[in-house]
Amino acid sequence: MQLRISVQDGAPIYQQIVEQVKYLVAAGRLKPGDDVPPIRVLAEQLRINPNTVARAYLELEREGIVTMRQGFGTTVAQVKTLLPRREKLRLLAEPADMLLTNARHLNVGLEEVITLLRERDAAMQPESSK
Amino acid sequence: MKFPSPSSAEAVIAVSGLSRHFGSKAALNDVSVFVPRGSVLGLVGENGAGKTTLIKHLLGALKAQAGSVRVFGLDPVLDPVGVLGRVGYLSERRELPGWMRVHEFMRYTQAFYPGWDEQYAEQLLEQFQLDPAQRIRTLSQGQQAKISLLTSLAYRPELLILDEPSSGLDPVVRRDILEAIIRIVAEEGRTVLFSSHLLDEVERVADHVVMLQHGRVVLNGRTEEVRGNHISAVLTFAEPPAKAPVLAGAHAVAGYGSEWRVLFGGSHLELETAAALIGARVVEERTPTLDEILVARAGGKGS
Amino acid sequence: MLWEIWGRHKVKFLWGGAALAASWFFVLWRDHGVSPALGEMLGSAAFFCFLGAFGQSLVCLGWFEVDDLSVQFSFPGRLLLKPVSTARLVLVPMLFGGAVIVILFALWAELVWRHVVGFSASDLLWTGAVLLSFFWWMQALAWSLPLPKCRMLAMVIMGMFHFFVWGMPQMRTNALSGWQWPILSALLVSAVPVAWMGLKLMRQGSWEGPSRISTLWSGLRFVRARSRQKRFHTAVAAQFWLEWRRQGWLLPGISGGMALLIVALFGMVTFVIRKVSGAAWQGGDSEMVGLLYMFILPLLVLPLLLSNLLTPALAKFDRLQSKGELPVYIAIRPMTDGGFVMAKLVMALATSALTWLVTAAALLCLAFMEKDTLLSKDGLITPFGPVAFMTGCVPVLLLLIVWTWKNLVAGIGAILTGHAGIGVVSVYWRMIFLVGLFPLVGTARTNINFREALLPWLTTILIACLAAKIAVAIAAFIWGLRRNAITARVIGWIVGGWLVCGLFVAGYAGHVCQTIHQPGLRIWVALGGFLILPLADLAIAPLALAWNRHR
Repeated sequence: MQLRISVQDGAPIYQQIVEQVKYLVAAGRLKPGDDVPPIRVLAEQLRINPNTVARAYLELEREGIVTMRQGFGTTVAQVKTLLPRREKLRLLAEPADMLLTNARHLNVGLEEVITLLRERDAAMQPESSK
Repeated sequence: MKFPSPSSAEAVIAVSGLSRHFGSKAALNDVSVFVPRGSVLGLVGENGAGKTTLIKHLLGALKAQAGSVRVFGLDPVLDPVGVLGRVGYLSERRELPGWMRVHEFMRYTQAFYPGWDEQYAEQLLEQFQLDPAQRIRTLSQGQQAKISLLTSLAYRPELLILDEPSSGLDPVVRRDILEAIIRIVAEEGRTVLFSSHLLDEVERVADHVVMLQHGRVVLNGRTEEVRGNHISAVLTFAEPPAKAPVLAGAHAVAGYGSEWRVLFGGSHLELETAAALIGARVVEERTPTLDEILVARAGGKGS
Repeated sequence: MLWEIWGRHKVKFLWGGAALAASWFFVLWRDHGVSPALGEMLGSAAFFCFLGAFGQSLVCLGWFEVDDLSVQFSFPGRLLLKPVSTARLVLVPMLFGGAVIVILFALWAELVWRHVVGFSASDLLWTGAVLLSFFWWMQALAWSLPLPKCRMLAMVIMGMFHFFVWGMPQMRTNALSGWQWPILSALLVSAVPVAWMGLKLMRQGSWEGPSRISTLWSGLRFVRARSRQKRFHTAVAAQFWLEWRRQGWLLPGISGGMALLIVALFGMVTFVIRKVSGAAWQGGDSEMVGLLYMFILPLLVLPLLLSNLLTPALAKFDRLQSKGELPVYIAIRPMTDGGFVMAKLVMALATSALTWLVTAAALLCLAFMEKDTLLSKDGLITPFGPVAFMTGCVPVLLLLIVWTWKNLVAGIGAILTGHAGIGVVSVYWRMIFLVGLFPLVGTARTNINFREALLPWLTTILIACLAAKIAVAIAAFIWGLRRNAITARVIGWIVGGWLVCGLFVAGYAGHVCQTIHQPGLRIWVALGGFLILPLADLAIAPLALAWNRHR
């Protein structure tokens, strides 16, 4: 699992990890049942505080992306829909706000944003349908 | 922004109201820092802000002129053996005995610490690729930092204090040292305090950040919180102001003409309010890096 | 190049000129008729001026560069990079410097020494030539010797050799008089090529990097060390090892070097004398014994003198530390200040013992070389035979070891504080005290009234001083214990050592007093012994170190 952490980026580090793992799962590079590196190993690899990695993993577990088991490490969850729909939409609300705020600042209209979203989804498709 | 001071039993480092003068200059002024067990504290500040002075107080090299310093609940001046036996220290200028060879220095240090792990020391020696027969004065700066770190890690101290661990080192060595530190942190119950100018290191590794400026604590909190409490924004004015605009709550203002970048300490709402007061509009917002916050606060331009 | 000397040392030359003028003034004043005491003082003042001025001009003209940190003498490195031939780099300072030295010496001789000491023309020539040779050899060694550590030692040895050579005409043995000029000429002539070759090799970079010897040596040592891999039993043992490696070899090394030189010289001189005089020598010749004593005396005096001077070196943790602060890699060790002091004390004892063992070995060598003279019944000091003599020497040896140890550690507390001023005050206090004792003893010997008044009180005074010393020590120990600066074990060692040494000194002195039929002196010598041996000093030392360690 190759992640890239940027300190310059506005987002907190643990959030960057969460986002990137979610992207990898969505793009199919991490399949259900795959092992995710242990906290210690990932911390050393990325040269960040293990607590940050632990926090990221907890967040991912909370969102149902991964499951952590004592002694067996962390794996990508088999079932991705542990959360009720309402919860999922709530989780999507924040990134949506961010996207819309940026669009507003850049003076990009809603229709263009929707077109962009379709394009990006299409770009992700071939990987997930491999 | 203060995080709650835990009971002294839990806090590995408890500095309270510490002040220190050198002649007429105040190196530290009413500094209070608490470091709970198992956390990583990053100490930041410009040169001369008092970081090394604070660290020297923790080691007992300086006596507290006012306030108290407790490490593991003990006073490092009154009980040097009790404190120093559980502390590993990497000094800023790597003052090492140049005449000793690497293995001699290891042997010398080993005698003072009953908890010295020989296997671990050998492992580190191999990992750092140090030649045991070489004299320390012939080692490069990076290698000197490595041997200094090795002899501080080998007895598995409960507290590791690092004064500018990456100063003067090339990126490869910096990477090695950071990895070694992370490995320590991953072990149970070990605490790390380090001061650094390389703020991206501090952001990656530190749980808590304390910023010193002219001997005072100006920032003290969790790393994300500290960043989250500041906004780097761009303001635009309808008419270019005659001189640099003064924004309440901003630490730094820079720019030209009608667009000005500010580093603001506060929430989004407060920023909008303050901007409106001086007739400006916020066009861009993002979370600043620790670097930007430090420079802005140190520069002191703004209100 | 020459302008540079003038530029850098302008002020020193002015001082030198002032010293010359002052000395001239002193001797003229003396010539006008003054009391003998004042005359002597003026004479010594002039002598010291001479030493100071001359020493300074030697250093200025010698083209040395002294590295502050490591006290190395060397050729100014930047000059090696200039496009000047090595011959010129060597000849210009040597010839120019040599000429200036000779001229200066002639000036001094003419203006000052003519009035003080009677000089004949040949004496003048001899001294001037020896000075020139000394100057040239100092330059040659400082520039060219590859091992920087040995440079100082080699220079010291060469200096002493020159001193002996200078003294050769004074030795009343006629056999040597033919040799002095050939030896001196050989020295003069060989100095320049040595300097030239050394500088040439240095310029080619042959001195860079570890020499082949040192690489070989380090290879061997490492092989041995790795195979042993002995751990230190205690932290104090590790600290002792550090102290020993840093300065343990200093005193034995210098004494040993001196001893080697003296034994070699003695061997050479006696060999030459015997060869020349043939069968004229008999065993028990008093002149031979006199010569022997002349050689033995510096050997005995050197460790005692040197140990006084080496106290600051012992007190420092790292010779290169310019300020008095503890080096970081020592200050952060979890050891009490008492432990650090203990390591120093034990190291001082070891170094002192080694020095005297080396000296004893040298003395044995000398005795063996002259066994016919010394060990015959007429020549020996005591009539009890050599074995008894040797056995009798053992307590003396122990006494000398204790004395040297005491010289090394006395006043260690003042220097451990890390404040240079306190160290200086302590040294001056000691000097004044010692210097003050001599007139006291002198007056007591000559002035009977003073003696009558003093003697009944002497015992009381000594006991009072001893009680004060013990009180100070107890207070310091208690304070130290409270501040965790010292452990009970270290206190035990210090007090125990003091008692044992004191009893030994008292016992031996008592025995000696008995032998020389002065039993009355016994109590004073015993008390004096306990007073001189350091106790309060050592009690204060950990506190001083604590003051330094926690500023």
